[in-house]
Amino acid sequence: MPSAIEVTGLTKRFKDVVAVDDLSFEVAAGRVTGFLGPNGAGKTTTLRMLLGLVSATQGTATFKGQAYRDLENPVHHVGSVLEATSFHPARRARSHLKVVAMATGLPYARVDETLALVGLTEVATKRVGGFSMGMRQRLELATALLGDPEVLILDEPSNGLDPQGIQWLRTFIRHQASTGRAVLVSSHLLSEMEETVDDVVIVSHGKLVLQTTLADLRNRAGTGGGMRVQTPEAQRLVDVLTAQQVAARWPEPDVVMIDGASPEWLGPVLAQNQIIVYDLRREGGGLEEVFLSLTSGFEAVPQGVPS
Amino acid sequence: MIRLIRSEWLKLRTTSVPWLLLGLSILFTGLGILLSFLSGSSPGGRRAHGGAAWFTPHTVDQLRNLAGSGLGFGDLFIMLLGVLCITTEFRHKTVTSTFLVTPRRGRMVASKLITAAILGVVLAVILLIVTVAAGSIVLSARHGSPSALIHQLPAVAPGMIGVFVLYAILGVGVGSWLTNQVAALIATLGWFLIGETLIGALLNAIHDGLSRWLPGASASALANHTGRNLGSVLLPWWGGGLMMLTYGLVFAAIGSFVMTRRDIT
Repeated sequence: MPSAIEVTGLTKRFKDVVAVDDLSFEVAAGRVTGFLGPNGAGKTTTLRMLLGLVSATQGTATFKGQAYRDLENPVHHVGSVLEATSFHPARRARSHLKVVAMATGLPYARVDETLALVGLTEVATKRVGGFSMGMRQRLELATALLGDPEVLILDEPSNGLDPQGIQWLRTFIRHQASTGRAVLVSSHLLSEMEETVDDVVIVSHGKLVLQTTLADLRNRAGTGGGMRVQTPEAQRLVDVLTAQQVAARWPEPDVVMIDGASPEWLGPVLAQNQIIVYDLRREGGGLEEVFLSLTSGFEAVPQGVPS
Repeated sequence: MIRLIRSEWLKLRTTSVPWLLLGLSILFTGLGILLSFLSGSSPGGRRAHGGAAWFTPHTVDQLRNLAGSGLGFGDLFIMLLGVLCITTEFRHKTVTSTFLVTPRRGRMVASKLITAAILGVVLAVILLIVTVAAGSIVLSARHGSPSALIHQLPAVAPGMIGVFVLYAILGVGVGSWLTNQVAALIATLGWFLIGETLIGALLNAIHDGLSRWLPGASASALANHTGRNLGSVLLPWWGGGLMMLTYGLVFAAIGSFVMTRRDIT
């Protein structure tokens, strides 16, 4: 059976900029897949290509084998919440949903049902212009759920939400996956998604860095993949690393953390530069550190260094 | 397609713009008729190619002259509605949601063309009713016969309705191509207020009578289809209608083509 979402060799070139570069990944039904990467990694462009809003330079993106533009009544298959989607400020929340319901042949009863689902019943007849960020986000979610789709695509849905809103969103996303939906949710923060996702697709500079399960990612974080150096010459060490374009963190005055580095690589570097070391140990950073080293360090770490 | 058209109508009626345009159309029609009553003549011939004669209550062209004074703005307003029904989507970025529902973008343009055309009929009929009603009052006050006005209705109405439908289509066509709302509105108003007169004069300098092929002149030809002798200034009424339709559909075709290839970011 084809995957809920399958992306194959997807590429987007804007004039001279390659925003998405030969990207391939899959999203399974009944699971939440985090689509992670720093801002500017090409996440939004990828999602918009999936939804037929942006044309792909190369490659394909399909839902159970069909491109979005070929879906008969796509709202019944794929629901999406995108950044920079907007509402006509003078239109009332209920009217906004009615417009979509009418276009896709859904009864208006479904509109009220969906409004209740996201907790907007009380403001259903208010103009969207007066809505807060959180309310708009809920209205977007209501729009996405209107057709009871089997796939949900959410682009940075927690942007602009307060802590309660984020908590509500987490529960909401988990619930959607538990009912068998495939959920693809993008974020530039892994920490925000840690409690929500089952799988991760990590991208940087438009390229796929890693597709795996969250459990596997946690494993990597647990079993090292980073070095902790205690040294009185922290400044000099950081300078040396910077000169070699290796990302390092400096959590304490005499401690330097090098994510993704192995002792086989770091030992010779320390010896060559005659850096005094008081303590040297493997230390896997937290999940977020692994994520950071996988993305920001993606090109900074020279070849031969495990990443 | 019917669902899409009903959805488009829902989009329009849940915003204020169509109601504002309808209100203004009725207001201008009423004012035009009042003005003709006060001055004893018609302000018809708003545009050089309008071809309306001075109004006297006893000529056979009462209705058209009345219509010319009021409905003349109605055609601008219905075109603006056509422009706005598409450019508003880009201005408020609701187009993202629209294309998620209807990823085949040509269908979206088609549904807007049909919706605007239907509204063209509706607005023309409303304004004709307003004109006949207000005109009857004016004529009665000047001891004219309202029945003469009503008798002219079958002769005038088809042309007016045709003009409104075609201006609505032209508006959607322009909007689908010039999706920047401000640019589209300036282009439309500019053409109505001065553009056609200027370009027409230029064209006529090149070859006399060329200006009759322009959209406004084509509209006048269609509106005047009841056979007032306008010489060679205008196309025959059907020719004017065909030209208008061609302008509208060519713009819409270009617009759909460009829009289908456009990235919505």
